[in-house]
Amino acid sequence: MADRFAPGDVVRTSTADPVWHTRLPRYARGAVGRVVELAGHHPLADDRARGRPGTAQAVYHVRFAAADLFGDGEHDVTVELWEDYLEPADEQGGTP
Amino acid sequence: MSRINDVGGMVGFPAIAEEPDEPAFHADWEAHVLALNAALIRRGVYNLDEFRDAIERMEPAAYLSSSYYEKWFTAITTLLVEKGVATPEELAVPGTDPGG
Amino acid sequence: MSGDHHGSSAISERVRHVEALLEARGLVDEGEIDRSIDDFLAGGSPVNGARITARAWVDPGFRDRLLADANAAIRELGLSMAGGLQEQRLKVVANTEDEHNVVVCTLCSCYPIALLGPSPSWYKSEAYRSRVVRDPRGVLAEFGLELPAGTRISVWDASAESRYMVVPRRPEGTDGRPEEALAALVTRNGLIGTAAV
Repeated sequence: MADRFAPGDVVRTSTADPVWHTRLPRYARGAVGRVVELAGHHPLADDRARGRPGTAQAVYHVRFAAADLFGDGEHDVTVELWEDYLEPADEQGGTP
Repeated sequence: MSRINDVGGMVGFPAIAEEPDEPAFHADWEAHVLALNAALIRRGVYNLDEFRDAIERMEPAAYLSSSYYEKWFTAITTLLVEKGVATPEELAVPGTDPGG
Repeated sequence: MSGDHHGSSAISERVRHVEALLEARGLVDEGEIDRSIDDFLAGGSPVNGARITARAWVDPGFRDRLLADANAAIRELGLSMAGGLQEQRLKVVANTEDEHNVVVCTLCSCYPIALLGPSPSWYKSEAYRSRVVRDPRGVLAEFGLELPAGTRISVWDASAESRYMVVPRRPEGTDGRPEEALAALVTRNGLIGTAAV
């Protein structure tokens, strides 16, 4: 399956709060960031941790402004996220 | 639900303590825990994600009060029981409490 | 707090007991455990990161290749990320006058062990993992690293499959020094981003 996102794309992370193992940190949930770079293709950690084989999907470095994560801060934080955690967004964070 | 390992951005943790000339392991048992875990993953008893999951499922107070390799050992014994390799009684040192 | 090493004799006895049980069940053997520990201790080292850094300082072409595809570039130095259970992707980021990078794994303790050896305990502590994404400038100051106000800080959370290494800035006044002498300047904290070099 083709990668859903490319560098430069604006994305919003999932707000889901699963009971199982996941690799979308709480501080980066429901946040709008920008795809920096593809980081490879891997089965979703959430699946592997539950004994499901899963199929490989794109993993991306996604950059967030600290102010968008914490309400303040001048730095940025780049989180490595599976495609399933991401939805397309526009600059304002809405659905395009 | 967010688990106790998911600490990024939390406030209240103390200043960071650096240990000068820190050794790779602080005790021999830590090295054995690391090697045991690698062997069990190689044998397919469990995978790395299941191992991380088992650490994250620790009771939060125990997670925060355990050292790094104590967490690993807790996860290993949790998975050995869940995968049917051994019972809690078998994993306990004879004469001690299996819950301990 | 995590990082204490209490109750050492009791847990040591428990680990020995579990290891003996698994040996009896044929799931591990003693030689395998000892070999695994020896391999781990003989594996990665910050010295590897220092060699990579020094080469990047003296060879701009290598630096470009390193930032574009670190796994391929480090093979030029006879190094690899294949020492663990499987080869992991290495992502290398370089500090500049304008930008300082620092690496963390907020969810657990992901680190390029195959290349750089075990991570320091502070890297695995809840204190570092919780605080550096929120207040990197304050955390770096605790390490004695005071960055100019104009330097942008970029934090990298190793939340998936890549492992990360920072190439520190080359210190002033080191022109003409041989590569080995440059490598000797580089520290493990510099490769994580909590020291200038």
